[in-house]
Amino acid sequence: MSYYFTIFSPTDTPLYTHDFGTSRSGGDGIPHFTSSERALAPFILHSALDIVEEVQWGASTSSGSAPMYLKHIDKYANNFVSCWITGANVRFLLLTRPRDEALGLSGTTGGSRGSLAGGRSGLTSAGLYNPSAPATEEAVKNFFVDVYEIWVKTVMNPFFHAGNGDIVKSPVFRARVGAAAKKFL
Amino acid sequence: MSSSSTPGPGLRYPSNKKTIYDRNLNRTKNAELSRAAFAYLFIEMISYAQRGAKDVGDLEQRLNNQGYPLGVRLLDLLLTRSANPLSSIRPTRILPLLQFIAQQLYRHLFGRPADALERSGSDAAQYMIFDNEPMVNTYISLPRELSSLNCAAFVAGIIEGVCDGAGFPTEGVSAHSVGEQEAEAAGAEGKKGAAMWPGKTVFLIKFKKEVLEREEILARGTSG
Repeated sequence: MSYYFTIFSPTDTPLYTHDFGTSRSGGDGIPHFTSSERALAPFILHSALDIVEEVQWGASTSSGSAPMYLKHIDKYANNFVSCWITGANVRFLLLTRPRDEALGLSGTTGGSRGSLAGGRSGLTSAGLYNPSAPATEEAVKNFFVDVYEIWVKTVMNPFFHAGNGDIVKSPVFRARVGAAAKKFL
Repeated sequence: MSSSSTPGPGLRYPSNKKTIYDRNLNRTKNAELSRAAFAYLFIEMISYAQRGAKDVGDLEQRLNNQGYPLGVRLLDLLLTRSANPLSSIRPTRILPLLQFIAQQLYRHLFGRPADALERSGSDAAQYMIFDNEPMVNTYISLPRELSSLNCAAFVAGIIEGVCDGAGFPTEGVSAHSVGEQEAEAAGAEGKKGAAMWPGKTVFLIKFKKEVLEREEILARGTSG
C-alpha cells in the first residue's frame, strides 16, 4: 500500500504534499510507487478536485450542513482517492495505491501483509481492496481527523494565509502528519 | 539547549519549547480578555486605519480588511470547537451559515447571540444581522465630521471573512447605524427601537449572484 497525500488551498494550489507507505502489518512506511505512478499522482489528485466540487455541497435533502469527510470520491486506474474538506474549503486528498495482490493483478491473494486500511480487515471475501469497506473508511477518517487538527493550528498562525498559496514548511507539521499516517494507515 | 535539538536550519522554537502544534485548540471557558485591553487595542487599530484614509468609506474599508482574516480563521476554529471532531460538519446552505454567524461566532466574540437575523424584503440576495449594542462601539463617540462612520465595520469584516471562507462569496458586508430615517420608514415600532438602542447597527450581507443560483439548484434537487 502506498499513499500520496496533498493539501489543496481554496484556489487549488497544492500547499503540502507527503507520500508514504503503510506501516501496518509489517509495512515499512516507505511508498512503493513506480516512477510513472509517482509522476501521475498529482494529476490524478487535481482531476479529483472536480468531483470534490460536485459532492461538497451535500445531498439536496441535507439539512444545510454536510460532513467534512467526503469518503472515497474518485478512482483512476489502480488509484483510489479519498477527501476531507475543511470549513474554509481547503481540501485534503489522499491517494491510495493498494498492493497488486489486493487488486487481483498478481495471482496470489495473500492478505498477510495488508494494512488496517484495506488490509485483511478491509479486504472483501475475494481478497480485493475495497475503498468503501467500513474499516478502510474509518482508518482514513482517523488519519484526516488528526491532520485536520494540526491544520487548524497551522491556519491560526496570523502570518499564514492559505488563500494566498502559502506553503506549509514546518518540519513539525510534517512529523505530525507522518505520525498520523504511521498510526492509522 | 544544544543545537542537536533543532531538526532543521532556520527553525527556531519559542523559549518555552512549545510550537503552535503543541498547544490545545480548546480554551477554558473563563479565558476571556479584559474589555479595557480590547478597547485600547481597538482604538489603536482605528487610528492606524485612519492614517492616510481618504474618506469615511475608505476608513471603513480598512477596518473591514483588518477583520477579514480573523473571520476566515474563526470559521475553522469554531467548527472544530463546536462539534465533536469525529462528526465534523460545515455549513453548506445560506441559512445555517448565517445562524452560525449569529449564534456561534457572536457568542465567541461577544458572549451573546446577535439580536436579529432578517432577509431583505426588496433584495433576495441581501440578509441583515442586527446588533442592538455593538460591543466594539461602546467607547467610541464620533466627531461631527465623521458622523457617518461606524466602527463596527471591523465586525462586518469578520462576517465577510466567514462567508467568503465557507464558499459563500459576498459583494461585501457593511455596517450601518440604524439612523432616524430608516427608523421612521420602519414605522412607530422602528422609531421606538432606535430610541431604545441609539447604537443599533445592522450588518448588510449581500451574497453574489452565483451563491443564490447554487442555492436554488441545490434546493430544486429536493423536490425533483
